[in-house]
Amino acid sequence: MLEATNLMVFYENMLALNNVSISCRKNQIVGIFGANSAGKSTLMYTLSGIMEDIRKKEQMAGGERITVLGKINYLDQDITGIKPSQRARIGIVLCPERRRIFTESNVLENLRIGAYLATRAQAKETLEYIFRVFPALEKLKTRLGGFLSGGEQQMLAIGRALMAQPKILLLDEPLMGLSPLIQTILVRAIKEIRDETGISIIVTEQYARPVLPIVDYAFILENGAAVMEGTRDELLDNPDVRAAYFGV
Amino acid sequence: MEQRRKERIDRGVKVRSDSIYALMSWRELSYLTVPRLLLIIGMLILPLVVTSMYWQRVISIVCIYALLALSFDFLAHYTGLVSLGGAFFIGVGGYLTAIFNTTFGLPPLVSIPLATVFGAIICTVLLLPCLPLRGVYFAIVTLMYPLVFARIIEAMDILGGTDGIMGIDSFSNRWIEQYLVIIVVLLLLFGLRRLVNLDLGLIFRAVKDNDQAVRASGMSITNYKALAVLIASGMGCLGGACIVHIYMWTGLSLFALDFSILPIAATVIGGAGTLVGPVLGCLILVPISELLREFGTLRIVFYSIILVGFIVFRSEGIMVYGQRKYHQFERWIKV
Repeated sequence: MLEATNLMVFYENMLALNNVSISCRKNQIVGIFGANSAGKSTLMYTLSGIMEDIRKKEQMAGGERITVLGKINYLDQDITGIKPSQRARIGIVLCPERRRIFTESNVLENLRIGAYLATRAQAKETLEYIFRVFPALEKLKTRLGGFLSGGEQQMLAIGRALMAQPKILLLDEPLMGLSPLIQTILVRAIKEIRDETGISIIVTEQYARPVLPIVDYAFILENGAAVMEGTRDELLDNPDVRAAYFGV
Repeated sequence: MEQRRKERIDRGVKVRSDSIYALMSWRELSYLTVPRLLLIIGMLILPLVVTSMYWQRVISIVCIYALLALSFDFLAHYTGLVSLGGAFFIGVGGYLTAIFNTTFGLPPLVSIPLATVFGAIICTVLLLPCLPLRGVYFAIVTLMYPLVFARIIEAMDILGGTDGIMGIDSFSNRWIEQYLVIIVVLLLLFGLRRLVNLDLGLIFRAVKDNDQAVRASGMSITNYKALAVLIASGMGCLGGACIVHIYMWTGLSLFALDFSILPIAATVIGGAGTLVGPVLGCLILVPISELLREFGTLRIVFYSIILVGFIVFRSEGIMVYGQRKYHQFERWIKV
């Protein structure tokens, strides 16, 4: 469904992604694991097209020059250079790192903003669906985004991304800074979303253990390069990987 | 398929002069000194090259605007306070020096420093209540003060009312007048560049980036903001005091909006946050504005087109672009 081949991203002369090829099939949850500075966020930005935006802003400000090489194919269509808004339109939606919710809008408004691309009926249906997956949000409808707890904010961010009617959802570190209990709730919700809506999901995480049970296929990034890939069991068989990312 | 990408690398001499100062020859020393000397010597010989009285006066005005632009750049890009108070600073400094000169009979070389110090204190005290404000709110408040002062002077008919104060002493010699402002600009430019790299400058920048973190480190951000405003308004008042003695007249036009807006345009053109950039911006914008005077009202049109062009095609600013070209080179490499 989504296939990136030989992605290379340079921030000025620093190589952030080195020849990374990843792919995600329909209705699959793909995990991308790596330490800080391994290139996870860069990869997500590149896939979702935000990188094009960052590149343009840096260029205007005379800052770092960002070079993106490689090819991204989505549904047999080359989407390498196209704008993030266009990519969202065709179904690639990013749920960014650190949530980036609109702190001065309330929960319902946050979700409505996400529904810009949806029809009225779709929005209504998705809204109900989100409240079913995340019952906690329903009680907080009128609370301002900035006053939510970390876990609630993350639920809201995922909900907002869902409102854009994604075909493939990119979750950038959805479990960052959350308690183990909330982590399990979120992980279960992610699996539920995949099972019920058929959306493909790419999820990045530093510590793979909480999300491991739900991923079908995983890539491991190290210093910008995809050093290993495989199904859950294949990765679990590798002792180095187990020690470094799974903590077992 | 062979892919290439343009690489941007620091020049070797830049790397050496940046940290370890391993400069071996006059040629390498000149790498650092020539751009600075170019500016200093260029500014100093400018009044000698330009012979007509009219253009010499323009140079003085450039310097006044350069002071304002420096103070704007310092406040906006090193302390995070976007100030539209150029007219306010100029007005306060101008009226103060006029009072010192006419009422107390002090010569210009005494009244200017006095007006600078007292003007800075007055401006800072008046701006103190709005220091907790950030962004556009601070800008609005600083924009309101000159309007308020102009109307108070007009309505209450104090300080000469609409006629302004006349009969202010000029400088004893026109070369003193020329070189005073030029040297003041150069001193303040290099002084500020030094200041923003001191510990104090670090705190200013930290206030801009994240004031909560500065508070958490046990520093009062209001104190530091007040200090920054004191420095910046002092520069503005100095400019105002000089302009009054140059024109031998002070009036409500000192509170004109030009003094607030043009420095910002100059900062955008010259390169925000470089401190040299705004001075260069003034050196470009003010003479252009004078040259276009022949076109009458169309002047504003040309002026706007130049500004828009700069913002669209070189929004980073001349100085940022120039520094990059000077310090770095580019080459194509295979990926």
